[in-house]
Parts: sequence; C-alpha cells; structure tokens
Amino acid sequence: MRTHHLQLPLTKADVAELRAGDLVTLSGEIAITAGLPTHQRIREAIAGERDLPFPLAGGTLFHLGSYSEDTPEGLRVRYMNPTTSTRFNAYMPDFIRALDLRLVGGKGGLDDASAKAMQETGCAYLSFLGGGCQLLSAAIESVSAVGWDDLVAHYRLVKLRVRSLGPLTVGIDSHGDSLYSKLRGDAEARLPELMAMLARDRAGS
Amino acid sequence: MITHEAIRDLTAALYDWSLRAVPEDALAGIRAARETETSEVARSTLTMMLNSAERAASNKGYVCSDNGVPVYFVKYGTRCGFTGDVKAAIREGFDALVQRIDPPLLKHVTNPLTNERSYHGKDMPLISFDVVDSDTIDIICQPKALGSGRWAALEIFTFPSLEEIEEYVMRCVLAAGSQHCPPVVIGVGIGGTFDQAAKLAKNSTLRHIGSTNPEPVLAAMEERLTRAVNATGFGPMGTGGDTTALAVHIDYSAGHGFTPVAVCFNCWINRRTQARIHADGRVERVE
Repeated sequence: MRTHHLQLPLTKADVAELRAGDLVTLSGEIAITAGLPTHQRIREAIAGERDLPFPLAGGTLFHLGSYSEDTPEGLRVRYMNPTTSTRFNAYMPDFIRALDLRLVGGKGGLDDASAKAMQETGCAYLSFLGGGCQLLSAAIESVSAVGWDDLVAHYRLVKLRVRSLGPLTVGIDSHGDSLYSKLRGDAEARLPELMAMLARDRAGS
Repeated sequence: MITHEAIRDLTAALYDWSLRAVPEDALAGIRAARETETSEVARSTLTMMLNSAERAASNKGYVCSDNGVPVYFVKYGTRCGFTGDVKAAIREGFDALVQRIDPPLLKHVTNPLTNERSYHGKDMPLISFDVVDSDTIDIICQPKALGSGRWAALEIFTFPSLEEIEEYVMRCVLAAGSQHCPPVVIGVGIGGTFDQAAKLAKNSTLRHIGSTNPEPVLAAMEERLTRAVNATGFGPMGTGGDTTALAVHIDYSAGHGFTPVAVCFNCWINRRTQARIHADGRVERVE
C-alpha cells in the first residue's frame, strides 16, 4: 500500500504516479460542489454560455457536500462529506476533458466513460470516506473563493484551502484502471460461483 | 401519564443523538471485520471509519453531512394512557429541533414534484406505527440518506424458491456495487404484500448486528447470504476487500403465492436510536 502526500496543484506527471488502490493526502486548493444545478452551470460555462466564477483548469473537482454559513468574514464551511459521484456520470467526461482536470472524486466512483476521459487527459478519481464528516472537515484551513452566491450554500462552487486531507483512496487512475469497474466485473463474473456456494450451503443446512 | 411534551422532546433528542454517534453493535461489527479483513487498504478504511465515529462522539459533531430524511418507528402501547395526537407531537419535536440544532442541518427534505428542498413537506417526518400491548411508547429514529437509500429494490415473484430469492438479493447487491457506503446492513423482506415486504425489509435493518433470527430457515439464510455478499469483493467504501456487509437480516410474512421480495441497505454508520417513554413519564434510552 503506497501513500502519497501531494501538494496541489499537480502536473500530469504527478498524477501518472498514482495507481488504483494507492492512498493519498492532499494539501492546497480544491474545488468542491455536490449540486446538480452547479453541474448544469459548469456545463453552460464550458459551452460558452456563462463564465466560471474562478478557473478550474488543471485543478480538482470533488463531489463534496458542505454546510456553510455566511459570516462577516465571508463564507464559513462548518462541515463537509462526499456524495455519490455516479449521480454526475452524465457530466463528468465532458468536464474532465474541457477543464483538463487533474483530480476528481467523491464516493462510489464514476463510470467507464469518465475513466476513459481521465486516461486521455491525465486525471485520477479519489474515494473519500462516506461518513467521514469529522475527519474531512478537520482538514479545512480556509475558504479561498465562492462562486454562484445566488444558489443555496451547498450548491455553490467553493474553493477551499486544505491541509493533509485524507487519506483518500485512488479509485480510478490515469492509466485506465478503475477499481469500480474491476470489482463490478469480477463480482458479476463470480455470480454463478457465488450461487453455487449458496446452493451448497443450502443443501448442508 | 405520558404527555405531549414528553413525545415532542424525545422525538427531537432521538434525531439529534442519531446524527452524532454510530451504534455500538455497528462499531463492534466493524472492529470484528477489521480483524479478519485481508486487504490492507480495506483495513485502513475500516480504521478511518472507527476514527470518524470516535471523533464525532467526542466533538459532538455529525458523522455524515447527509442528515437524511427523518424516519420514526413508533411502538404504541395501548395501555400507555396517552390521549393526544402522537403524530402532531412527533412533528412538533422534529420542527423544534430543526430550528435549534447546531450545527444546522442541510436541507434534504425534497418535494418530489418540484425538487424544491427544505426541512418540511407533506408527510414529513415519515412515521410508521405498530400498536402493541404495553404501557409504554417506544420510538426509534433512523434518518435515511441518499447514499444507501438509493439502492433499495422490490420485485414480485410467483412461488419463488429460496434460490430465486437469494439470487435476487445478490443481484441487488451487485446493482449497488460500490455506491452505498459499505460495509452495509442488508434488510430483506419476503412475502406479505407489496407494502408489507418493504416494511419487513426496513424493520430488519433495525435489528441488532450479531442477533440471531428466531426462524432457523432464515437464520441459515442470513448466514450464507452474508458470506456470499462478502465474497463479492466490493469491500469498505467499495474500493475492494472482504467486508461488504456487516449483516444480512431477513424477515417474512405469510401471503399469497405472489411473493414480493424487498431489499434495502443501511450504510456503515447504521444510524439508529431508540428510547422508551414509560406510563409514569420516565424516559429511558434503550440503546
């Protein structure tokens, strides 16, 4: 098990070092959102129909939900935690290519179309601990930027400065290896064997 | 005499408690799984889960940011002496909590017709009642979030064999794959009617991990399905390993030959708190 302590932003060469199953911690700036409306706006920005509130090119886009409060000093993120990334399967291949993202993540993985886009551009998917609210929130140092203030707080696009966020598991690497695709494929292939195992147990019970 | 205020206050407290702690049986299940888990990454993920739970308990913070929708199960004793509107008391308790809880909750309650999100809505909080012969009111709170809630399924079979039922459970496990925050507790309901099977499955997720099904046929089925689910290899958080389920819990009802089979999942946090109000007004935390 290899653990990488990464300082953001990353180069494609840095990402190429990551292999599915490795662990990483992140320090630096990350962009987060858990909102479908936010994804729709990013899609419009890529199509040239609106501006991004801050550049995402070469950076991260993580599916992390957060509770934030507007304070006199600006937005304060009280807590955050990953959401199911497959909700955004339809958006992510375009985002990965158009924004040249180095890291994406959340929980539960992304589909093969995203994995293919990641391989083309040099991007990896990181699995965050679902139910890791306390551990993940403790890594937040500050809020660097907030986009689309007209949306409710947890749909905004937020840029955070984090220190030692993780460990996170590399679920999909930039070489085309996806733990999700592999595990699903293996489990489906093994279903007849698992059914035979159940039949043996049934006969013996 | 059980008062309106007692039910209202307990409703609020149960939801609050459930967000900040992982039940002991789930923690014990994760600790036990860590002892036998062969994948190093999986062991590291299980350790993080235990650390996360511990930190939530000591910080009095939330374990997960998806507070879910509030779901209450009420066992109403016919000899309890309460004469008011139980539903209204529960609703008031939930509403009061939303106003004062710190940190505040994310708005997860969604109007399915408009997708508008808030804390309130038609039939919210969701409550199911069981009338029992006792002089207490038992209330269980089980906030249900999207991560694992998304993967529940139900199919209606005709005179299914145990093999067909087990294959269906396995197919539901494969459909959820890595996405429901494993290791999960799997609830299975067999028989009755459409709604009864779903209720059986849901209630089965409330059963304590480590408990044995009193029906020997189901006890054996639970054991072999747990083994088979863990042999799928999805592992903690679905990134590989031997620990995909902490338990499979099954219940059944007699029905017609059309046999609904319902399957639902609880994420590793396994949120669940239960308390009892006695006839004299005394409140006891059951777990």
